[in-house]
Amino acid sequence: MSAKLPPRWAERFLKIVCAPHLFEEIQGDLYERFLRNARLFGIPYARRQYAREVLSFLRPFALKRQPGEHPSISLLNPGMIRNYLKIAWRNIAHNKSFSAINILGLALGMACSLLILLWIQDEFSVDAYHANGPQLYNVMERQFYDGKVEASPGTPGLLAEELKKQFPEIEYAAGLSWEQEHTFSVGEKLNKEKGRSAGADWFKMYSLPVVAGTAETALNGPANIAISRKLADHYFGSPQAALGQSIRLDNKDDYQVSAVYYMPQNSSETYDYVLSWADFIKRNEWLKDWGNNALQTRIQLRTDRNGVTADPDRLEAKMKPLMKSHNPNMAKNGYDIQLFLQPYQDAYLYSNFKNGYQDGGRIEYVRLFGIVAVFILLIACINFMNLATARSVKRAREVGVRKVVGAGRNWLIGQFIGEALVLTSLSLLIALALVGLLLPIFNSLTEKHITFQFANASFWITLLGMTFLTGLIAGSYPALFLSSLNPIRVLKGAIRFGTGARLFRQGLVVFQFALSMLLIIGTIVVYRQIDFIQTKNLGYDREGLIYLAAEGDLASHYATFKQELLRMPGIQTVTFMNGTPTNTFGSTGNVQWTGKDPNTSVQFQFSQVDYDFTKTLKVKVTGRDFSRDFSTDSVGYLINETAARRIGYREPIGKPLTLWGKPGLIIGVVDDFHQNSLHQAIEPFIAKLSPTAEGKSIIVRTQPGQTKQALASLETLWRQLNPKFPFSYKFADEAFQRLYHSETVVGTLANYFAFLAIFISCLGLFGLAAFMAEQRTKEIGVRKVLGASVPSIVALLSQDFLKLVLLAILISSPLAWYAMSRWLQDYAYKIDIEWWIFAVAGLLAVGIALLTISFQSIKAALMNPVTSLRSE
Amino acid sequence: MRRSYLGEFEEVVLLTVAVLGTGAYGVAITDELDRQTGRAVSISAVHAALHRLEEKGMLKSHLGEATAERGGRRKRLFSVTILGSRTLHDIRAVRDQLWDSISPQGLPAVSL
Repeated sequence: MSAKLPPRWAERFLKIVCAPHLFEEIQGDLYERFLRNARLFGIPYARRQYAREVLSFLRPFALKRQPGEHPSISLLNPGMIRNYLKIAWRNIAHNKSFSAINILGLALGMACSLLILLWIQDEFSVDAYHANGPQLYNVMERQFYDGKVEASPGTPGLLAEELKKQFPEIEYAAGLSWEQEHTFSVGEKLNKEKGRSAGADWFKMYSLPVVAGTAETALNGPANIAISRKLADHYFGSPQAALGQSIRLDNKDDYQVSAVYYMPQNSSETYDYVLSWADFIKRNEWLKDWGNNALQTRIQLRTDRNGVTADPDRLEAKMKPLMKSHNPNMAKNGYDIQLFLQPYQDAYLYSNFKNGYQDGGRIEYVRLFGIVAVFILLIACINFMNLATARSVKRAREVGVRKVVGAGRNWLIGQFIGEALVLTSLSLLIALALVGLLLPIFNSLTEKHITFQFANASFWITLLGMTFLTGLIAGSYPALFLSSLNPIRVLKGAIRFGTGARLFRQGLVVFQFALSMLLIIGTIVVYRQIDFIQTKNLGYDREGLIYLAAEGDLASHYATFKQELLRMPGIQTVTFMNGTPTNTFGSTGNVQWTGKDPNTSVQFQFSQVDYDFTKTLKVKVTGRDFSRDFSTDSVGYLINETAARRIGYREPIGKPLTLWGKPGLIIGVVDDFHQNSLHQAIEPFIAKLSPTAEGKSIIVRTQPGQTKQALASLETLWRQLNPKFPFSYKFADEAFQRLYHSETVVGTLANYFAFLAIFISCLGLFGLAAFMAEQRTKEIGVRKVLGASVPSIVALLSQDFLKLVLLAILISSPLAWYAMSRWLQDYAYKIDIEWWIFAVAGLLAVGIALLTISFQSIKAALMNPVTSLRSE
Repeated sequence: MRRSYLGEFEEVVLLTVAVLGTGAYGVAITDELDRQTGRAVSISAVHAALHRLEEKGMLKSHLGEATAERGGRRKRLFSVTILGSRTLHDIRAVRDQLWDSISPQGLPAVSL
């Protein structure tokens, strides 16, 4: 049948391309010719001819459309847009208080989210600038001992070289030392500087911009030193001038500047100089021992000609037996060490290890604040939605008229979302100004260098995206709701909101307050935990404790130093130790006692100390401290309670103990004291007397209230005995605070955010209450006429909102409890989450909400019924 | 006197419309052209010329009745306007004048 007709596609094509006013005649003519052709030459020819003729009509005259008689005007024409904007502006200007609440709420929310977003962006940019980033890995150890597994970044000093020799997958490998502090002297200039030692491949692996010198050979010679531009500028005036110059370190050895590099700000580890590895190993011979795991090892995987990087998992499997092969007695002593790899770029955000495996880290804070940013923005959006829908009565007539005149639903939705976008853009401007003002404070709090990156496209995309998203979310519900109104009913004046709309609005309020409650409870718990840390008895007294490094001549003149110092004002006692009371120095497994299970290895934190150790730290001791009266004390040991329990002697004092192969006796047991942060449990500790102060920290206890005199005494003596080194010291208190820096920052930020969240929520509540009071003016008037008292009316108006807030408390409490107990799991010593925290947070929320509402409800209740009822 | 320029094809189409009288529409004009001049012209070219002539005001058109052989579609019927007629006459006058002015030796003889 179809074969007797012209080709369908040709007909359709003609219909599409041909101008409508010509279509009928052209199609008719073509059809007529088709019929004749079909009769004369057969259908196939006719069909072909038809198609050919259709195509021949691709001429300008046939394509050109005739202007219609009634052109349809687009709703996006300039006139309409002007009208939309005018109406939007009139609405903003007419309801100044509501608009202010909306804009202020949104601006605060956006400012807060923007700050957090900038911070998150900055966190992700840390260490991301290395060209070889994806191929860089940290080699770490997983140590199996005493039934435990622990991950540690410490590796033997010779590991890097060995790895590079054994595994062809590794292109470069370099060790990295701990942070060292050396005194630099160039001419008259004398200063303490912090830096590291690293393997020769260091600058080939890490893309630190080299300003002068060559990166490849910078660390080849043992007396080479690469310094940062900051140091070059300070000591020599410019990077070029620094090249080839020599620097004297610790008044002993000279080093030649081989390269000057620039240390980017977004680096997780910063160092002002890099010394060569050969030099470092020479100064620390003990690091050659494969049993000492104290240094970091970094590798770069090889990339083959096709750009495929070696598989880190397979390399990891191959590396597993390496440590065992270098430590023959490891298996004998019942422990094992396996090497594993962590991508270098992950190391900053994923730094925590639990039972030997990766478990969170900074990324948790990034996620946490990301969620907070979304929450706060959401709370601000909800304000907007609530106020807009509540006030929709006022706009209902406009919607009705627009609909009658022919506006489609889509256009109304567009209009209302557009209005939301206008408001959001206004808020964004305010938010940007706010963030600009707050950035310096925020930077000093978080120790960052965040700036607006106006030149960066992603910054603008973020801003635009945020504005659009906020506008869309905030405008969505009001737009959908208002555009759905029935024009007939609206214009008759009878609008009634369904229970659906009211429930939705109430749901939003509950949601808002639940989020605020979460933040309040979180803040309280974080603060309590920080307070717990600050006030917890650590087992030693950290007030009035000062640390000095025993460097230069101070170590050799320690005896004189101590003797003189004790005679000077402000000083109580002096001792020295490995590490400090706030930071452990290192651990050893080489402790033997009678009855020890030969198959287990117990790690002891150790410290070599001076006389007066317990007296200076003010640690309680059972038995006695080291004393000059006992010549045998050179092989006497002090242990802590945890160590005593682990060893298992019933009466430990006087019992034999062997440390590093030297048999001796336990002379005293000190009470457990916290030498690390409270994240970690107290570990077994052992102290032994040391004859020399070399490499130790000198610990000075001042007379109470005489810190100033003590510092003056210290400085005078330092200048006499150790003139080549600048005087520097640390307060134990500050060192201790430093341990909890991130918690303190988080606590402060959480506090601000919680305040903001509740403030924005209350702004919304204030608006809603004002609206409700306005709606019920007549009802209140009638009630008053009939004899209702002011308190009863206030109660009536308040109870609706209070119910919602109470519901929010009920919902958020278990959530907050769950979240906060997860957070507390990170601490070995922590507070209990008690019921009163919830009660306080709840009371706070109710109180603030009540205060917010009562202003409006009291105002409404006090109104003279005559004025409110007269209008009708 | 200023007059609109007519192309050769337009002139032929305009004349054909005059020849066909009341039944001048696309297909008929195409067929008549074919028959009278032996030129195989495409229907779209004819339509284009008709369209142009109408724009110049030399043709006018109206839609006719629906006819069965066109699948119920209407034809557009064309007729020559006064301007069209005038233009044709002018062209003819110019030609006649030119013919009359040719001396007998002016054209080489053509055997008929």
